[in-house]
Formats: sequence, structure tokens, C-alpha cells
Amino acid sequence: MTYHPPPITRLAAESEGAPDAELTVAPKSPHDVASVLRHATEKGLKVQVWGGGTRSGYGTPPPPDIVMSMEHLGEIESWVPGDLTLVVGAGARIADIESKLVGESQTAVLPEVPGVSTVGGAIAAGASALRRGRLYGTRERILETTVVTGDGRIVRSGGRVVKNVTGYDMHKLSVGAFGSLGVVVSVCLKLWPLPPAGATVTVDGPDQTSSVARPLAILEGNDSTRVFLWGTDEDVSAMSDRLDGDSADGLDWPADPSGPYVWSVRVPPALTSQAIRHLPDGWRYLAVHGVGDIRAASDDDEGASDLRVWAESVAGHLVVVEAPTDTLQGFDRWGSPPPGLDLQRRLIGEFDPARIINPGRLPGGI
Amino acid sequence: MTLLSDLRQTLGNENVLEEPMELYIYSKDASLMRGEATFVVFPQSAEHVAAVVQIAGEHGVPIVARGAGTGLTAGASPTEGGIVMATTALNSVEIDPDNRTAWVGAGVVNLDLSKLAAPFGLHFAPDPSSQSACTIGGNVANNSGGAHTLSEGSTTSHVLGLEVVFADGEIVILGGQAPDSPGLDVKGLVVGSEGTLGIVTRALVRLLPVEPEVRTLLLDFPTVEAAVATVSEIIAAGMIPAALELMDQRMTVAVENWLHAGLPVEAAAVLLAEVIGEREGVESQASQIGEIGRANGAGDVRIAKTEEDRALLWKGRKSAFGAMAQLAPDYYLHDAVVPRTKLVETMRKIYEIADRYQLTLLNVFHAGDGNLHPLIAFDASEPGVAERVHQAGDEIVAACLEVGGALTGEHGIGLEKRDLMRMAFTEIDLDAQARLKEVFDPTGLFNPRKILPEGSRCFDFGGVRREVPEGVWV
Repeated sequence: MTYHPPPITRLAAESEGAPDAELTVAPKSPHDVASVLRHATEKGLKVQVWGGGTRSGYGTPPPPDIVMSMEHLGEIESWVPGDLTLVVGAGARIADIESKLVGESQTAVLPEVPGVSTVGGAIAAGASALRRGRLYGTRERILETTVVTGDGRIVRSGGRVVKNVTGYDMHKLSVGAFGSLGVVVSVCLKLWPLPPAGATVTVDGPDQTSSVARPLAILEGNDSTRVFLWGTDEDVSAMSDRLDGDSADGLDWPADPSGPYVWSVRVPPALTSQAIRHLPDGWRYLAVHGVGDIRAASDDDEGASDLRVWAESVAGHLVVVEAPTDTLQGFDRWGSPPPGLDLQRRLIGEFDPARIINPGRLPGGI
Repeated sequence: MTLLSDLRQTLGNENVLEEPMELYIYSKDASLMRGEATFVVFPQSAEHVAAVVQIAGEHGVPIVARGAGTGLTAGASPTEGGIVMATTALNSVEIDPDNRTAWVGAGVVNLDLSKLAAPFGLHFAPDPSSQSACTIGGNVANNSGGAHTLSEGSTTSHVLGLEVVFADGEIVILGGQAPDSPGLDVKGLVVGSEGTLGIVTRALVRLLPVEPEVRTLLLDFPTVEAAVATVSEIIAAGMIPAALELMDQRMTVAVENWLHAGLPVEAAAVLLAEVIGEREGVESQASQIGEIGRANGAGDVRIAKTEEDRALLWKGRKSAFGAMAQLAPDYYLHDAVVPRTKLVETMRKIYEIADRYQLTLLNVFHAGDGNLHPLIAFDASEPGVAERVHQAGDEIVAACLEVGGALTGEHGIGLEKRDLMRMAFTEIDLDAQARLKEVFDPTGLFNPRKILPEGSRCFDFGGVRREVPEGVWV
């Protein structure tokens, strides 16, 4: 049993669903997070940061020594509807904040069917909304972050305004970084107004959507292709009339496919339909047309190698989002290593020098 | 071998400038600060750039990358001397209409890209006022915005990939057409880094479809407050127009004097609004904006009837800075951003500061974003005026930061706003940024002493940690 000093043990907690570790802590402030990380850096203890646990299957991390639950760091610090900004703790559940925002007809444009996932989790894993083709991904929603580095510094980047080029965009670098540049403790999000009307139109296929210049989303699943529309009443009814399909009021977002194996296929946007044709038999999928983001799930890994070979041949990726323990031996979770890995290692070295925050999650085993 | 002969051997004599007059021309950007170029080079390829980076490293001479030199913060002024690398010959454009992307050389002019994309029904969204001159490389370096940033975001939202030459002379391609490249988004960090992390030679940019309909409206108001209230109410009504631009009376008069576009010179403020989208929605949004404006006291709501009329209204907005020449030979421009709800009180403070310093101040700005462009017109040859201008400028920035604003929304930090960074960030924040710079550029080869104030890399946590008692935060 490692000795943990009182400031750390004071934060000991039980967190539902979190993985087993020698110590589970639930910090109540950024300073608490700093104490935990500083301690972990000194002792060389691996820390798994825990939000909702919905995207905890990435990479091949070693078992953690400390699990740090972000559940007490989910308060809304400020929300000014007129400024379209929300400052919130990273532990906030996306569903909770979206249900508040809808009261002022606003959205944070984070994943639509988040389950129990948190704002910090979506940022760490780089998970984006299905509306990303029209409103851009999670990266473009981040205006400011406060992170705590592995050696316990509290670093702020960006600002609480919707447009800002003051200094390096470190806050955007946190998206998809799995905490390797510091645990995100709070974030300022750029909100978007929800227009009065929305509709979901089921069409015959993604090639039947050209009558609408920029829909909110075109989603293709195993059974149907749906076009999501929003705008003024006039706008939405005119667009649904032009699309040849069954129109229903409101935006009925589907959940990402689930199963023992969850995959992310990423290809140039124009190859989305081809990517769907390359999916092995029996895979369930939800493809975001115009983006090249195909979310898939399967019961086994048969055909995954061939799919990766094809995806990489078109400058795309097949990424393992989740897989049962002890499977996929010899199959890299991220695929071929991205360029500039050494640079990435050196960057991370400045923020997590002992590499204790979520190690092993990133490509190249970083 | 001397630096000059190395450069000539690599690039050819015709691509290296050394005459004093030529060097003088390249010794500043559109800011007020002049540097001194040792040589000016025109690389013809990424390989040329890589070779120059290596040569500069060997000779210990810095490199300042430059596009069209329209920057307003001395970001492209060689204030520490060194090689000015003009990227204008890196002008390839490969449009991929199916994927709605283009690989674009750093030296391609912003507006030229949209013109080349137009036959495919596409355009590049970032549209700085200098778009007929500024380059994609400059846009990437400064994370440029423009009037249409309100609905589509700044340059960073439209850069999917980059070809960059880093300090070791390696040419690296970051990102790509497929979304969410695995690993850290290093490309996103390079955007907006003002040539301090590496030299961007090409960018893979997103192109957006040209919207089926557009309506451009001009509303005049009896007070600046009424115009700003209109902006807030438009957004509160669930609309994000493509653009919401505001000019105060002094600016409107200056523009109308030479443009003769029939601008309402009697109005205290003029709001230019543009909505885009499907035909039906555009009609209803335009009429809603008109109603909100009238409810706030707008006298006239002019809707551009023809494309020529629309172009004229935009010309008035985008050439506002050019119209300044009739008032005074010099101008000093800030670019601070405030939360939209703080616009009215901040504007009041800014006018008050200018009055106190007895300076002529005009305002033309991106009201929807809260991105102010207070502009002080002055004659630098008048004794003592430059000091007053700078003091007033610092007070204006402080007033913006006080209400939760930011130092710069789209122009960048460069050298001009570098020392104001301490007003926006703590020592620890600046140290973190300095560490990033060090990782990319350990010897200070790229655009030295820009963005970060002197001494940013001073907070050495490893050294002080032991002296700090547990629980105390520094």
C-alpha cells in the first residue's frame, strides 16, 4: 500500500462505475486536483481521470494507481445567455447542462445523446456532436480552459469571449488530448441559439439531399438516411417540402451504435458512402455525411484489419473506441502512428513530466 | 560560406534581395513598427523553405515569415533583424470539390481562393477586411477573422491540415481531410502562432458552399446604444446572422465622403447586417431584423436590392480604415473583444478615454462578436501625440479586460501588443505558453520576441516547488 499524505486521503471517495484502484479520490477544487497530481508525480503513480466513463476504452492504458473522479467539479460558474458563453466545471454531465440551456433556447453543441458522459470527457476524447457538419466539432466550441498539469500548475488559456487570438490556442489542444496536457477542470463553451423550428426527414439515401444547401446533419444508419433541419418555421417547412421523404417535427437524434466492440472510422467526407460499403457484415453504424465520421459497433473483430488497410489507403483511420479486455492482440488501437510523435511527446513532457495522467491512451502508446 | 552566398546558392540570385531600398520595403508590416531585414528571400517551394530554415539555423539568424504584410501588430516586422521570408511564390491551389477542401499555398491571396472556388459553388469563409491583399499564410499565422466570423468562426475552424517546416528543417504534414486525426492536434496550435513555431508552406482548408440566398441590410440609429441593443436582441431571438457590423457616426461620415454610397451621415450609428441561407428563411430573418431595429428606433432599413448595391455597402465597411487618410496621416487601432452584453458601457468608456486624451477616435467593429476596433486618428509628426495615443490605447485595452474581455480578437499580438499579455494572463499561464514555444523552437529561430513578453519563461516550478508549503498556491 503506497503512503498517501492526508491532503490526498481527505479526498478519498467511492465513485459509482469507476474502475478499481488503490485509491479513488473526488477533488472539490482545482487546488485539490493539483494536490493529487503533484503527489502522483512525486511518487510516479498513474492517475485515471474519471468523468462518466462512456469513452474510457481508448488506447491501451496500464491499470491506474489512483482514480480521480471529477463528479464534484461540475458546477456552472457563469452563464450569460446574451453573450452565448457558459463557464462550467469539467465534471458536469452534458445532459444536465443541455437541459438547462434549452430553457433559454441555447445549446452547447456537444454530443446529442450523451448518456452519463461529461463535458470534460467529451473534450478529453475529442467527441463531437452529430451536428458537426454545420456547427463544427467540439474543438470549435472551446473558448477557454483551465487545466491542472501533472506537476500541479493551474494554467488558463483562451478567454470568455466568442472571438479571441490572445496567445497560443492551448485550450483547443486539450480536445482529444486525454488530459495529457493537463486535466481540464473548467471550460468556457461557445453556445449557439436554438432556432424555433426543427424537423427530421427520412429520405431514400444520402444522394437525395442536394436540394438543401447546408442541413444541420445528414445521418445514415443501417436502416435509414435522415436529414436534420432547423431554422425558422418557413425555412424548415420549405426545406422539408423540397426533400422527397417522410418528415417529422423535431430533431430525433439517434444514439451511437453500441456493442462489445465500438469503432470510429474517419475518412475524407466524400468517401463516407464507400466507407459504409467497406464495413464488415453485421456491423452497426451511424455515418455523418459531409464529415466522414462513421461510428460503428460489432460483436467481434472479424474484418477489422481489412477495413483499416482500406481506410489508411485513403488517408483515413480506423480507431478502436472500445473492445473487450485481452482482445485485439497485435492490432494497434489507433492504427499507423501519426507524424510528429516525437514532437507530441516533448509537448506532453512540459505538462505531464512524469507522464501520470491517463498514460497509454494516445497513439504511439503515449 | 557567408549567409548571402548560402541563400543565393540555394534559391538563386533572383530570389534573394539585398539592396538597401528593397530591404527597407520589407522592414515593416502595416503596423507602426519598423525593423531591419538582413535579407529578403522568396522560396519557390517547401523544400526551399526547409533549406532556408537550415541555413538560418547554421548562421544563427532568425526568420520572419511574411505574406502580404497587411498585419497590424508588427508580427511580420523583422524587429530583431534576420531573414524576411516572403511566401508569395508559394501560390499553388488544388481544389477538391467533392470533399469541399483545397490545398492552398501560403502565398495565395485570400480573395483569389474564393474566386477560384466560385465555379464549384464554394468559398473560403474567413474574410478579413484586407482579403483582396492578405494571404492564406498570413490568415493561418494570425488566425484571422473577418465580418463573417460571427456565424462560421475564425480561420482555425477552416484549417484541416498544414504543411509546416519546423526548426529542424523537416517538412511535416499535419491533419488531413479525414476528421479527428489521432494524437494531439498540433496543427491547431500552429494556427494563430504568428510564425513563431514554424513556417507554414501550404494549408488544407475547408470550403463552404455558397448559400442560395443572401440579404444585406443597413439600419441607421439615433444612438450607438440603440444599435447595440438591436444586435443583442437579434441574437436573443435565436438568429446568428452571417454578419453584424457597426460603424459610429464619425466613421460613417469619413467613409461616405469618398464612397458616396448614400450612407446615413446624420445617424449616430449604422448597423450592417447580413443573413444567408435558404430563400424562405432569409426573407423571414431579414424582416425580423428590420422589426427589431425599428423597435429600437432605427429610422431607415435599407435592403440591398442588387449585388452591386450589396457590394457597395460592404465596400464601405471593408475600406473604412482606408478612409482614415482624410482625417490624419496615421492611425492606431485596437482589436479588443468584450462580452456582447458589455458593449454599451465599454463604448462609453472608450469615447471618454479618447476625449480625456484629446484624441480623435472612431469606431467600426464586429458588433455581433463584441470585437471592437477603436481607431485613433493622429499625426505622428505632432510632438507628444504618439505617447498620448499609446497611453489611451493601453487604457482602452484595460477597460475591455476589466469587463471580462480579451486583448485581441483577430489581429494577433505580434510585438505591438506583446507587453499587454501580462494584463491578460498570470505568470504561470505565460510560462506554459513559453514552454510550448521552446518545444517547437528551442533556439528562437522563428520570429523572435513576438507574442510573449520578455521573461515569460521564468516560472520554474521544479526549482521553487520545495520552498512552497503544501496547500499554498502561487
